Amino acid sequence: MDFSNHVVTTVNLFGFELWITESMVNSWIIMGILVLAAVIIRIILQRRTLQAVPTGLQNVVETIVEMLDNFTVSTMGEKHRNFGPFYGGMFIYILLCNLSGLLPGPKYVESAGYIQFMRPPTADVAVTLALALITFFMTQGYGIKAKGVKNWAKGLTEPMWPLTPLNVIGELANPVSLSFRLFGNILGGTIIMGLYYNLPWFALVGIPAALHIYFDIFAGVLQAFIFVMLSMTFVSSAME
Amino acid sequence: MDVQGIIDFLIGWMENVDPKALVLAFSAIGAGIAMIAGIGPGIGQGFAAGKAAEAVSKNPEEGARPATIVMLLGSAVAETSGIFSLVIAVIILFANPLVNKEGVGIVLAASALGAGLSMVAGIGPGIGQGYAAGKSAEAVGKRPKLQSMIVRTMLLGQAIAQTTGIYALIVALILLFVNVLK
Repeated sequence: MDFSNHVVTTVNLFGFELWITESMVNSWIIMGILVLAAVIIRIILQRRTLQAVPTGLQNVVETIVEMLDNFTVSTMGEKHRNFGPFYGGMFIYILLCNLSGLLPGPKYVESAGYIQFMRPPTADVAVTLALALITFFMTQGYGIKAKGVKNWAKGLTEPMWPLTPLNVIGELANPVSLSFRLFGNILGGTIIMGLYYNLPWFALVGIPAALHIYFDIFAGVLQAFIFVMLSMTFVSSAME
Repeated sequence: MDVQGIIDFLIGWMENVDPKALVLAFSAIGAGIAMIAGIGPGIGQGFAAGKAAEAVSKNPEEGARPATIVMLLGSAVAETSGIFSLVIAVIILFANPLVNKEGVGIVLAASALGAGLSMVAGIGPGIGQGYAAGKSAEAVGKRPKLQSMIVRTMLLGQAIAQTTGIYALIVALILLFVNVLK
């Protein structure tokens, strides 16, 4: 069986071979959905004046935004409320990526099973490592900005200078463990679901729903939550 | 028999076995060994269940439902290392990439075994996460109003406790899919 990330096409760009992979296409689909939803909500909300006591769509959007803002504030503290939009967006993106295993998607290979589901982009280590590297550079960048280069460098030599290599390794291990936590969980779900759908038809009645609830919905929501929360914790603790 | 003789006796026969059969044989052992990690989640979840039962008995009116929910949530997270082991075992059994790989038979075979062996590390995260789930269930039973705060701390700690299990998974996947040992 084949759970690898299929290459859809290759593009030649200035002599380099660019591989357009399955997870890139799926990621574009998800980004398209998000952008489209944002634009539509924006247009609808602009058409009428915003109310002080919201109703309908405005109410729903305000609830979601408030929830994401509160999530940021309760993890990072009141003074870091300005991180809300970034982490809110990150959370929605990762959540939709994880849940995309529930949606039927385009077929890239002939040998797929009966039902072809989308391969979650987060089941590709390139996607999760990119997200974790954003966190890593934010951690170091905001740490330097808040403490100054001298204090930041001094923080690496604590509690005493022989431990500096260990501190550096510890910092570098953060994005690795962060990315592979998300990757491993989502890939595990994808593999198990893929294997299950290759069983004979009588095994496919009802039981896949329970498996989807655990591997896609529970693990997907939980891992999106954990990824964003850990990222927030790293950044806010670097700034203290 | 000298040392050389013992080593020859133990490993020498492998040279005469078909490399593919060797890979398949060691894959079988590897898949079995990977599932030993199930010890961890088992102990951890049992501990969580016990602590939750204790918490319910102490505060049956207000704390019963929150403690049960926290126990279930924490136990589901503690299951992660068991699922990682299952994934590696299932890859070795049904989608073994080593079978069709070019290389020295014994190295490929040992890679399958090593992938299974590394997943045994899942015992640690399983027990640790279960312990966290149990203590959280106990705490929520005492103070049901702090449920969201306790759950948040529990999930954060459990995610960190998972790290070594994640490293084991990385090594197992590298052994299976990447040709590092040529």
